[in-house]
Amino acid sequence: MAAVQGSMSDADIKTDIKTEPSTDGFGNNNANDGRVLSASPSSGSSTGSNKQTAAVTPEDQQTLLAVLQFLKKNKLTESVEILRREAGLPENSLDPKATESAGAGSGGAAGIVDLEGGDVSSLLSRVTGSSSAGAQDQPDVRVVLSAYSQQGDPTLYEVYYSDLKKFIETVLDCHRAELSQVFYPLFVHMYLELVYNNHESEAKAFFEKFSGDQECYYEDDLRVLSGLTKKEHMRGNETLLDFRTSKFVLRISRDSYQLLKRHLQERQNNQIWNIIQEHLYIDIFDGMPRSKSQIDAMSGSLAGEAKREANKTKVYYGLLKEPEIELPLDDEDEEAENEEGKPKKKKPKKDSMGSKSKKQDPNAPSQNRIPLPELKDSDKLDKIMYMKEATKRIRLGLDNLPSVCFYTFLNAYQGLTAVDFTDDSSLIAGGFADSTVRVWSVTPKKLRKVKSAADLNLIDKESDDVLERIMDEKTASESKIMYGHSGPVYGISFSPDRNYLLSSSEDGTVRLWSLLTFTCLVAYKGHNYPVWDTQFSPYGYYFVSGGHDRVARLWATDHYQPLRIFSGHLADITCTRFHPNSNYVATGSSDRTIRVWDVLSGNCVRIFTGHKGPIHSLAFSPNGKFLASGATDGRVLLWDIGHGLMVGELKGHTDTIYSLRFSRDGEILASGSMDNTVRLWDAMKAFDDLETDDFTAATGHIHLQDNSQELLLGTYTTKSTPVIHLHFTRRNLLLAAGAFNP
Amino acid sequence: MSAPKTIPKDAQVMIQILKDMGITEYEPRVINQMLEFTYRYVTTIIEDAKTYASHANKSNVDADDIRLAIQCRMDQSFTSPPPRDFLLEVARQKNQTPLPLIKPYTGPRLPPDRYCLTAPNYRLKSIQKKVSSSAGRISVPRLSVGAVTSRPTTPTLGTPSVQSVTTKVGTPVSLTGQRFTVQIPPPSQTTTTKPSKNRPVLFFASCFDGTRVRRKNICEKHFNVEETVKKFSTN
Repeated sequence: MAAVQGSMSDADIKTDIKTEPSTDGFGNNNANDGRVLSASPSSGSSTGSNKQTAAVTPEDQQTLLAVLQFLKKNKLTESVEILRREAGLPENSLDPKATESAGAGSGGAAGIVDLEGGDVSSLLSRVTGSSSAGAQDQPDVRVVLSAYSQQGDPTLYEVYYSDLKKFIETVLDCHRAELSQVFYPLFVHMYLELVYNNHESEAKAFFEKFSGDQECYYEDDLRVLSGLTKKEHMRGNETLLDFRTSKFVLRISRDSYQLLKRHLQERQNNQIWNIIQEHLYIDIFDGMPRSKSQIDAMSGSLAGEAKREANKTKVYYGLLKEPEIELPLDDEDEEAENEEGKPKKKKPKKDSMGSKSKKQDPNAPSQNRIPLPELKDSDKLDKIMYMKEATKRIRLGLDNLPSVCFYTFLNAYQGLTAVDFTDDSSLIAGGFADSTVRVWSVTPKKLRKVKSAADLNLIDKESDDVLERIMDEKTASESKIMYGHSGPVYGISFSPDRNYLLSSSEDGTVRLWSLLTFTCLVAYKGHNYPVWDTQFSPYGYYFVSGGHDRVARLWATDHYQPLRIFSGHLADITCTRFHPNSNYVATGSSDRTIRVWDVLSGNCVRIFTGHKGPIHSLAFSPNGKFLASGATDGRVLLWDIGHGLMVGELKGHTDTIYSLRFSRDGEILASGSMDNTVRLWDAMKAFDDLETDDFTAATGHIHLQDNSQELLLGTYTTKSTPVIHLHFTRRNLLLAAGAFNP
Repeated sequence: MSAPKTIPKDAQVMIQILKDMGITEYEPRVINQMLEFTYRYVTTIIEDAKTYASHANKSNVDADDIRLAIQCRMDQSFTSPPPRDFLLEVARQKNQTPLPLIKPYTGPRLPPDRYCLTAPNYRLKSIQKKVSSSAGRISVPRLSVGAVTSRPTTPTLGTPSVQSVTTKVGTPVSLTGQRFTVQIPPPSQTTTTKPSKNRPVLFFASCFDGTRVRRKNICEKHFNVEETVKKFSTN
């Protein structure tokens, strides 16, 4: 059986070689081929002695066939013959047998031995392809093929690890920082391997000895690991399962990599080398090794950093063209527009709606890239209001800070979990832990329900103030309460036309409420686990939700099932935001990465790593080019979406940042946090003169300036109220909301 | 002098567990809640394990039974989200379909009615018996005075709204401009008659001094009113 085991592990290694052709050259393949040849005779000799055991279990059969495939592909005909002979496989043991035996056993494997492609590397990647087998089977198959098979004496793991440690400490300074990146993933995988193979005491000893050496920002993960001492514990923990099967990405310069490779291959027991090949993806770049600070800035996520290719897709980050609206000619004097609706040039305060409208922005998506709802008359009226308000907007800047108006929720008993304002700041909605959704009117105008159907028949539909007449005066009140959810409401979002309100809750549903009747219209069921955040698209009709099941879903209000599923995160999605042009969605997650998804195709177009804690707030800049993110580590990171790079870091907060908002023209970024403060940062300066030369774009090296202090424009402390929502009115007044927490 | 209050051992263990998991701030009641959960969970597991052991005709409960009990309980109560590869596959299939075009000018864009929560969540209760067969056993009809709206969907129609009106026969009650509704309650002895065929309630008007007045058929369903009114006019 040991021989078969050996072939299994070889299959693992070789299949992983296939998936990373760029990392290793031909030389490595040679080394492994040597091992194959050595393995086959050894397997031949041992199976010669116990031919009966050649009739192996279906899983082993699968692996043997996989190995055969691989050998055939690499034209190692001698090895093929030897293996086939010794393992007792008949000549035509390939396609039909594979599918047969797989059908008997785990059905998922059938799809795996995908012989049209004949590609054994598809073994691992195509495991995902077979959804026919129940999800329960999948882990078992993966266990067989890519699991932690016994790769060495468990008692020697400590020796291997300390060996590596010693080596890295003796290496040149410039390489040491890069090679130290290897420690954490290696430690976790070795520990999990020990646990998986039931070497509990060795695992514990290993953990105690080396967990203290890891970087401080992995502390939370290590704590979770310390609670995991048995194989059974691993079963229910989805995050760890994902960690186990996805590859931890490291970016190392070629020189450092050569050093490491040479060292590990010299040694007799290439234990660590095996693990590295199996579980790590090393993205090699040519150039200067990175410094410790650069590495620290980018690392911290659960799956390492982002591969370079992951951030290379073209992203259309420009804004959509505003439709031209004819303004009524009898407006006041200061609104004197020309007929086309474009503002006069002498109004510099206007946002860039009118200018450049003739030329197509090359970075903007086309108008019908994704279908968007057409503008109704009421929307056109809204737009006119918006333009009017925009003319009265205060221009913010270093010497002209916004005033902050704080809305404190009293007597919420720590139950306030979500807040949203309408775009024109006329309504506030609050989601509470007692599963209610409450809406308040900010203006003196009260909230009214629409009349009942009988009464609506009686009113005069042609009158000018029909919109007033449909409202039932008897129901006027300051606030309305809406019941319907069966769990705390964690996300809340108004529609841009102020007709609908969305709320997402721990009960797994997203509910659409009407703001005319203040009743629930639809409950969208899809997530079966708590939904942590939801948001309407800036044009209405679409909305996105993300939750505990690690996927974000894109819905349309008139479809009861999601239109797109954005899957790829390794842990829950805590924050979902639309891009201003509604073509992209950004999701922040507990796995400490931010991903930007394309609505049209559902693919992930950007991965941003660098936060050291779960991300709780995201904000797109109004011009669509930049993204700001805040997490539990108290830092705000700024990202350039076009290039896919980190461009700024704002340090200052001491606790989780729950809200981020750019001002209407993008000059100021406001951040609100659990440390009871609102901070204002100079966004204009942070994004000014960015050096995105070719080298930076190609390699992803970033040089962050440590100018947080200069960029901080002001800190405003509340008495004892964490700030959970921020909103700039159309005239650039900052509104903030939070629940008083004595 | 009283002995210093010591925390019981299992609470101390719980405090230690919380500390190990990195939770430093918590209200004191949390420990009680965690201990309750622990107790409930462990008893459930052990009971399940006892069931499995007896099913396997074993006299003692052993580790295998416990393991099985834990596994079954975990699949039932503590489910975890689907694994990543499954989600990737589902997502791949879902994302292949193009985004649907948006029909213009369709009013509120909501899913088909059966997926919305906008349908009425009540049904009108019908009066059981045909009146002709149980003329003698009808109890005193209740009289309700008030404006009756013509929409059959308001829930108040279904409930007999009793308002105090003197029912002395002979009192001249003004009829003009008022509508009287009389609802005959179903005869109590024959409650087991066939289940309601969902006939809506019929209201018909009559007057206490016996004169026949206009009937008002408020609901749309047909009902033979002629006979019934004739019967009542004899009351």
